[in-house]
Amino acid sequence: MRGHRSRTALINAVPVTVFLIVLFIYPIIGVLSLSLKGDNGAFTLHWYTDALSGANLSVLISTLRISAETAVLSLLVGFVLAHAIARMRPVFAALAMLIVVVPHFISALVRTYGWIIMLGEHGLINTLLTSAHAPGAPYSLLYNETGVVIGTTSVMLPYTVLILQGVMRGVDSRLLAAAAGFGASRWTIFTRIYLPLVAPGIGTAGLLSFILCLGYYITPALMGGDQQTVVAALIDQQVMKQDQWNSAAAFGVILLLLTFAGLGVLGLARLRRKKAHARRSSS
Amino acid sequence: MMELPPTRAGHVGRALSASAILLFLAMPIVIILVTSFGADGIGTFPPKEYSTRWYEQMAAPGGNWATSIALSSLVAALTTVFSLILGVTAATALARGRLPLHAAVYGLVLAPMLIPQVVIALGLFLFFEPAGMLGSPLAIALGHTVLAAPIAILIMISTLKGIDERLEDAAASMGAGRMTIARRITFPLATPGLIAAAVFSFITSFDEFFIAQFLSTPDTRTLPVLVFNALQFDVDPTVTAVSAVLIALAILALALVALVRKLGGHRTGRSALPVEPLT
Repeated sequence: MRGHRSRTALINAVPVTVFLIVLFIYPIIGVLSLSLKGDNGAFTLHWYTDALSGANLSVLISTLRISAETAVLSLLVGFVLAHAIARMRPVFAALAMLIVVVPHFISALVRTYGWIIMLGEHGLINTLLTSAHAPGAPYSLLYNETGVVIGTTSVMLPYTVLILQGVMRGVDSRLLAAAAGFGASRWTIFTRIYLPLVAPGIGTAGLLSFILCLGYYITPALMGGDQQTVVAALIDQQVMKQDQWNSAAAFGVILLLLTFAGLGVLGLARLRRKKAHARRSSS
Repeated sequence: MMELPPTRAGHVGRALSASAILLFLAMPIVIILVTSFGADGIGTFPPKEYSTRWYEQMAAPGGNWATSIALSSLVAALTTVFSLILGVTAATALARGRLPLHAAVYGLVLAPMLIPQVVIALGLFLFFEPAGMLGSPLAIALGHTVLAAPIAILIMISTLKGIDERLEDAAASMGAGRMTIARRITFPLATPGLIAAAVFSFITSFDEFFIAQFLSTPDTRTLPVLVFNALQFDVDPTVTAVSAVLIALAILALALVALVRKLGGHRTGRSALPVEPLT
């Protein structure tokens, strides 16, 4: 029985490996090689210098800015929500998680459309704020960066809440009780004990939503204005409308490198935590 | 969680902020469901008059919407078949056997979840364009399988890990052949996982936008591509009804998976989102 196990495993691993090499790895290598090819087929870095200058550079910068803003906002909102859910009664906690997780399985296009209806000049939010005589209402919440960041944050929130919830559940409440027993104030307990304990989760959640934002353009394309063009939307335009495949490929590789950088930081942080953990448990 | 005596102000503050955030998350979905029955078609909320005309327009035979719903269903069905084949084989290799290069294969399987989808879509465009396969349902389904297979594989791995291998060993010791074991023991126990994998593969494909957008042609556009165009260029009120249908589909799918899990008595405890490998 055990003898043929590794042979069977090898045979079973073949379909997925072949499939992903042909339809995932090979196409991405195709993107890489196209980004380094000039019109005459010779090697060139022209597409990268082009992508990193002028209007293209500002698109790259707004992509990074929108991703960073979204990461920060989804961290803040996710933290408040996860922290509240951790202290709810089980029934309410389950209900809250349902509201967080179910939208993840609903098409992002559809959710974005919901935001468009809701945030418009005559949408629900502005109607409520105007009737409450909020100063400056109605606000422009659509076709600008505010709208994009709100929409994108709602897409990333399931990830941040789930990750933060995972670390919050792992916090040993005896540590907090001990600190309280020694007379530490709530604020001290929160900043000196609780936050450091959940910090790894905050880092992971923030970086992950940043990475996932980089290549995401449904919300920026539908809820943003001209200033909110992101790299992914530019790739789409260059392929579908302008036939500038080389330039699109260079942008694709830049997105890929940024993603790898983010994943690298995540991996390094994990490695360091493991090492620190090993050192602590060995001494 | 925190074993500190809760203050009333803290309690009220937390409850209020959490409710506000949850309401904010649920509202866009509720608004779509309600306005899809609105008669005016400009998204007044709440609608002054109700009607089902947008649903009738969506289902009108021969129309853009009906055609793209048929295409999306075909593509999603193909994707489900491909993902299940890859899911069952790969999960058997990763969960059961002693696979050489286990980490490399596992990493390869997870990679499509983390690489920007627009880059995968661009790669597939460059791959299928020279073959003249743009707009082919098969090409779109193969592309969708790159995204759906990893999800199916993760679900099947956790399903197979939840099955006690000793049941199979016991059957083998009583003389059952490998086919009999697979048919009589493994398959019945893995059914809830298989259904979950199928449902999530189908939904992943049915809702997928990036790959479908890059591989589409003006005559073959999947439902999400059509929705995107309707939202970006010509606002067609029918899109509200389509969105409501997509919401209903997702909720039905999740309910089906939950039901099957419950009937199968499975409590795998794995989260439904593919974030686990990262935390």
